[in-house]
Amino acid sequence: MASRLIRKAPHEAENPIEVSLRESFQIVEPKLRPPFLLTIPTQEEYSNLNRAILYGILCESHLANVHIKHLHGIVTDGYGYFTSLLINIVNEVYGKLFDSVKRQLIWVAHETMHVSAVGFDGLMVAFLRQIAGGDFSEGNLWLCFEMVSLFLSKWESLLEEDPSVLTFALYVFLRLLADHCRISNVERIEALKRIEIEFCVKMLREQLCLCLKIGRDLLRLLQDLVHKPEFCAIWKDLLLNPSSFRTEGFADITQIYRTRTSSRYFLLRITPEMESQVRFLLTHVKLGSQKRYQVWFTKKFLATPERETLLIDIVRFICCAHHPSNEIIQSDVIQRWAVIGWLLKSGKKNHVEANMKLSLFYDWLFFDDKVDNIMNLEPAILLMVHSIPKYIDMTHSLLEFLFILLDNYDLDRKAMVLGGISSAFHILVRKGVVQSLDVLVSCDMLSPYLKERLRKLLPDLQLHYSREFTREQHPM
Amino acid sequence: MGSLTFYFELPDSAAEFSVSKGGTIYKMESEKNLQALKDIVPAAQNNINTKFILLDKGRLTLEGQHKTCLALVADESAAVHFQLWGDECDAFEPGDIILLANGIFSYNRNNLVLRAGKRGKAEKVGEFTMTFVETPNMSEIRWVPDSSDSKKYVQEAVISPYSRIFPPMH
Repeated sequence: MASRLIRKAPHEAENPIEVSLRESFQIVEPKLRPPFLLTIPTQEEYSNLNRAILYGILCESHLANVHIKHLHGIVTDGYGYFTSLLINIVNEVYGKLFDSVKRQLIWVAHETMHVSAVGFDGLMVAFLRQIAGGDFSEGNLWLCFEMVSLFLSKWESLLEEDPSVLTFALYVFLRLLADHCRISNVERIEALKRIEIEFCVKMLREQLCLCLKIGRDLLRLLQDLVHKPEFCAIWKDLLLNPSSFRTEGFADITQIYRTRTSSRYFLLRITPEMESQVRFLLTHVKLGSQKRYQVWFTKKFLATPERETLLIDIVRFICCAHHPSNEIIQSDVIQRWAVIGWLLKSGKKNHVEANMKLSLFYDWLFFDDKVDNIMNLEPAILLMVHSIPKYIDMTHSLLEFLFILLDNYDLDRKAMVLGGISSAFHILVRKGVVQSLDVLVSCDMLSPYLKERLRKLLPDLQLHYSREFTREQHPM
Repeated sequence: MGSLTFYFELPDSAAEFSVSKGGTIYKMESEKNLQALKDIVPAAQNNINTKFILLDKGRLTLEGQHKTCLALVADESAAVHFQLWGDECDAFEPGDIILLANGIFSYNRNNLVLRAGKRGKAEKVGEFTMTFVETPNMSEIRWVPDSSDSKKYVQEAVISPYSRIFPPMH
């Protein structure tokens, strides 16, 4: 049977999603042409009809209007099942679909929006996750354009019905803009950039309270765009003229720094396939056996130099969205710090490397144990400690970067950053993630300057570390 | 919706953005009763159903009119040399998870290799998400006819713990 949804390579097994939809289509095909039956279907017939109609919409675009009318006629669950089928297709096989099927998917996404389908927000998230970072291929830019256009054209109704979708979209497009702004004078990308900027500026200027839901990573992304005049102006107003946003309760960006970003935002910049591979690495692969997996991952996702910026998102994802169980921490499975060490070594460009380190340390700068999670800090300290002595350059460059952040990240809020970094070190020792900082402070290979700065930063820790014999369990 | 859960095991909540772990939820009918690579024994019949991940590919060679290519494949129990034939040589890449139906494990030009053979079928069913070991390698074992049943082969000695053609990657 020829595949009509998925571009199947030779010797590739049939995809179970396609098989399931097609089988339903074959079963109910006679019922898919008008006049439609008015009898109430059983649960099984209803499910089959949903799958068959979806298959029809995706494969027979000339009949899509007939199929969608049919769907409107039979639906009894608020389009919940239909939308869940769509989400599954987008998550599992989007990249392999024929272009015509992708176009139909976007069309039907608009339709589900018109009817306020149950699960519409999840569908938007699924699409947003398929826009790959650092990917300038035509298909990927097309998806960017379709999505940002949808958010702008359906602005009012989204604001009313699903405002959280707009917040997710802002996170995605701010991040994509950082990549897109590195390319200039390519007409297609210029046009896309304009509309992405229009959407992001509209969000920040008109709906700041929705933007603030992102938390501190909103500022991390925004700072990467201050070279663009539109964002520079917004940044200045956030700092100097916060009342211009007319957002109740917003007085100073300190409150944004203090809000931890939910892990769901980091997932938005990782495709489901990437997520499953990174999670597999971190739950199944033993330290020492990772080499082949790393080669395959690099070949698949990091094949060209532009794609390198993805590394920033993967580091942030691993720190904040993949927290291993105690069982994994105590096993011989490769740990997060080791994977991040490999990713840091994979970044060749200076701006990528700096942004990766910022991703790694970002929660250190504002750490507050009432809102933050120690597991977001853990990879950085373990990477510094475990890189001694063999990879001392890594320890050195990370610690040096941390002090550069302390000195320069936000000159007006230096005390806050100092407090954050200091609390981070304290809790890491107190909870036994590292037994003491002695390994850093008394390391002969580390520069005296860095050791001195550590001692100054943490004078009291020096007195206490020797008493910390009991190692607490890693908190989850 | 009992009849649907087989193919569409949806995330608990779409809003949580959870995804199914690649390759693990879609168990096709043909994936039942698979043999572990450590249990395969040379024989003249196509009767091996198994699943493995491709680790490495050698150089293309011509056997008469047909392309062939030797590959290292493995599962959680063992590794083995797998002979790709014809367009299989280009279709499969390292990292691919392959389902072999009715394969054959036998000597081909003095090499002990697993292959699909004329009646078998090799299909890509996934990527990456499979663990493996590189030792023992079933192609690097010396097999001899069983003293009580000369049609059966038994292991006599390990020639090399790892593949001598595709050394482990460290």
